[in-house]
Amino acid sequence: MAAVDAKSENTNEGNKSDEEDEKEKSTSSSFECNICLDTAKDAVISMCGHLFCWPCLHQWLETRYSNPTCPVCKAAISKDKVIPLYGRGSSNQEDPREKLPPRPPGQRSEPEPQHGFMPGFNFGDGEGFQFHFGIGAFPFGLFTSFNNFGFGGGAHAAGMNIPPVQTPQEMRDERFLSSVFMAMAILFLLWLLWV
Amino acid sequence: MADIAVQRIKKELKEVIESDEIQRCNIFVELADDDYQDLRGKIAGPSDTPYEGGTFHLEIKIPKSYPFKPPKVKFLTRIWHPNISSATGAICLDILQDEWAASMTLRTVLLSLQALLAAAEPDDPQDEMVARQYRNNYPLFFKTAQYWTYFHAGGENSNSEFTEKVQSLKDMGVSDTRALIALSSCNWEMLQAVEEIFS
Ligand SMILES: [Zn+2]
Ligand SMILES: [Zn+2]
Repeated sequence: MAAVDAKSENTNEGNKSDEEDEKEKSTSSSFECNICLDTAKDAVISMCGHLFCWPCLHQWLETRYSNPTCPVCKAAISKDKVIPLYGRGSSNQEDPREKLPPRPPGQRSEPEPQHGFMPGFNFGDGEGFQFHFGIGAFPFGLFTSFNNFGFGGGAHAAGMNIPPVQTPQEMRDERFLSSVFMAMAILFLLWLLWV
Repeated sequence: MADIAVQRIKKELKEVIESDEIQRCNIFVELADDDYQDLRGKIAGPSDTPYEGGTFHLEIKIPKSYPFKPPKVKFLTRIWHPNISSATGAICLDILQDEWAASMTLRTVLLSLQALLAAAEPDDPQDEMVARQYRNNYPLFFKTAQYWTYFHAGGENSNSEFTEKVQSLKDMGVSDTRALIALSSCNWEMLQAVEEIFS
């Protein structure tokens, strides 16, 4: 092959760039959209692992709205279950959502929360916590609604299950609140027992 | 025509030309016009089938919404096959209708058609006449399909009995393609074929 001949005459530097070229070629072909067969733009990936441009997949889903399947493996596929891929720097230059059709957003799940960090679950450790759940939703509901009212807790306001980022001040407030409600809950229990 | 369709066809032509199949002269595709909407394909009849040795030409029309809609493909070469119309060349194949997927290419379509030649589905026929013969008298179906391959597709397996019968009808002023269709659909019964033609 011509490439082999050229390599033998090249300097070390030349060899290196030849290899890099080849590497680049094979890498780019595995990132081709399965519909337009070009390098995927505004890339999304299906749950079955197949890569597409978002505009390409969107158009496919439009034509197959009654029974949308993956164009490659025929697995069930839906707009909500594709994951956008953000390469470094690539998505910063142009916001894909400004283009039509918008690419679905990524789904972020937060790491496991620490004790006392998450509103609504910081009644305290051990028995107390479980006990409140046992009685019913009242103390719990009161707490969360108060929290919403008082601090505009971002989690519920945004309609998503993403907890807000909290400042240390807020965390102190939370701890204070939790002890207040702990006390209220105990009073409530005592009242229940008395009646 | 949409950009994506043209880009796809360009890439697909390249894919077919670079594929192993073309090296073995199994499949071939080329443009029939400059705007990438009209193509011509060729497939070789698979071995161990009545189509062996034949070359089958295809008309491939690319719709504007390609690849979201399948290409429209039909046989230009006449063929005796349960899933292909002996009169028009229309094809009954799921991937060219509901089972089309945008990731399929001209190469996969041509290979699927080749596979269809090797494995007919007589229970889901395009040509009921052919399908009935396939189900009721497979040896006769095989000989007929083989003769059609010889007659239309350049196959090597002739059949002197069939040639004689076609010739007799030709002597009556019937075109040979008309004679072939009539005889094939009447299980090569001369009287029936004559009746069908002149009734
Ligand atoms: Zn694409
Ligand atoms: Zn898939």
